[in-house]
Amino acid sequence: MNYLIIGNSCAGTACAEEIRKNDTNGNITILSEENFPAYGRPLISYFLQGKQNLETIKYKKEDFYTKNKITIKLNCKAESIDAVKKEVICSDKEKYKYDKLLIATGSIPFVPKITGMEKHKKVYTFLNIESATNIKKVVSKDSAIVIIGAGLIGLKAAEALAEQVKSVTVCDLADRVMGSVLDKNTASIIQKHIEQNNVKFYLSNTAKEITENSVILNDGTELHCDILIMAVGVRPNTSLARDAGIKTNRGIVVDTDMQTSVKDIYAAGDCVESLDILSNQNKILALWPNAYTQGKIAGSNMSGVVKSFNGAFPLNAIGFFGLHLISAGIIDGNKDEYKTYIKEDKEAHKLKKLVIKGDNLAGFALINTNERAGIYTSLINDKIPLSSLNYDITKQEIGLNIFSKKTREDKLFGGK
Amino acid sequence: MKKVYAFEKNCLGCGLCEVYCRTAHSKSKDIIKTYKKENIDSAITIEEIEKKGVKTFFALQCRHCKDPKCVQACISGAMYKDKNGIVRNIKEKCVGCQSCIMACPFGAIKMSVSGTVISKCDLCTESGNEPACAKNCPNGALKFMENDS
Repeated sequence: MNYLIIGNSCAGTACAEEIRKNDTNGNITILSEENFPAYGRPLISYFLQGKQNLETIKYKKEDFYTKNKITIKLNCKAESIDAVKKEVICSDKEKYKYDKLLIATGSIPFVPKITGMEKHKKVYTFLNIESATNIKKVVSKDSAIVIIGAGLIGLKAAEALAEQVKSVTVCDLADRVMGSVLDKNTASIIQKHIEQNNVKFYLSNTAKEITENSVILNDGTELHCDILIMAVGVRPNTSLARDAGIKTNRGIVVDTDMQTSVKDIYAAGDCVESLDILSNQNKILALWPNAYTQGKIAGSNMSGVVKSFNGAFPLNAIGFFGLHLISAGIIDGNKDEYKTYIKEDKEAHKLKKLVIKGDNLAGFALINTNERAGIYTSLINDKIPLSSLNYDITKQEIGLNIFSKKTREDKLFGGK
Repeated sequence: MKKVYAFEKNCLGCGLCEVYCRTAHSKSKDIIKTYKKENIDSAITIEEIEKKGVKTFFALQCRHCKDPKCVQACISGAMYKDKNGIVRNIKEKCVGCQSCIMACPFGAIKMSVSGTVISKCDLCTESGNEPACAKNCPNGALKFMENDS
């Protein structure tokens, strides 16, 4: 059996590992367009900051590929899929045959066209080790950095650079940081904290023009800019699948086996659409744990052990300058169907927010608390009726003591 | 695999498991020196249950899950399940992002006192001995044992 995996990050490696568990003899090949073994992609900001190096950033142990008998082809971009001949044609002009194929091509940066962008000679995106390395090469203590986009990627780039350069300015058309994830109040706590660490924000205001050394905003403000980082957002990397005739919407469409519309071709991770169990809609849930789970399930089905993916929901754990945010599910509970509980300490930049829908927890955000967040996550994931619990989650800090004795013992002794 | 199991009816909430956990993971391996000079947290959480005015307790540490959510969520590859089934964290790789804390359904992972990496139970693998919490529990409320149920 020939297993071929396009993409060498979270979903791709999880898939390969799972296949090897079920099939000790099959050939597993991973194609990667990058020239570096699997790495913790979100760690590129720590690399840029100097807190991680090219060794510690590696996602898998040194012997991962050899131990699992995986052939890894670096610098090998898959250019097309021939679903009839069951082969993938690569940039090295080699043809790779497959019986089962996984597409785990992840995301690509979305770079909007802005007037004059071609005039600036130091424009970067920030999504892989190559871009981080390129930025690292050009930054100096005199650099004025402008980052367009106040989402996760833009803010992590700001954190990485703030102490190394003269200035970091972030602008975004949205009225808040992490606009796609957070409500206004939660976002404002994070923004204030980042501002205290020498990062300046221009929100509800973004670049309308770029010159060779500046960025001009919608309101006319001109920001001096030596290095421009485009972090507006990412898009699922679906072109390879689409060109092969595989059904795609915003992302690649898959069934619960993670199989695409074409038999024997599977897809997993940031490039696919997943069922969001809270909204019951298919969405792009570009989240590391989701990619892992999907890669693993795809690998299992590819190697003959049937498993199904039952959906996911948004989850984020992220830190900026020592502030920690953990959020999950629906956080902006402004609609009538949600009840919101907030406990906030503005001075200490602390927040606990719980969003409740009927008898279920629908979401939460925790900033700088030491609470056991994963128990809240499990209440959402397992759809636990809040009325079945030992106490009111809004009244005290959560622990396993919230569950009945029987449930607690089942959990502790089950060890799933 | 052998893990540490909690028996609620025997737990006094005395906190000795925490004391021995800290000591086992200290440099000095000395209770007093650990307490006075080494700023480390235990990998155990003691929970209290109050029912009709009566308090009972149990001690919780990592369950070393078969399919660990913390390993799936870890963005750096610091968290992994070793060949003996023990879920471990490589401190040099950990960036303290708290993805594992977000994912662990037991709430069994903590931030280290330093605030830069996470801290969790390693079943005292470094010492090669029986986990210190179970070994030193005075009332059999923590047992290191196989449980296939």
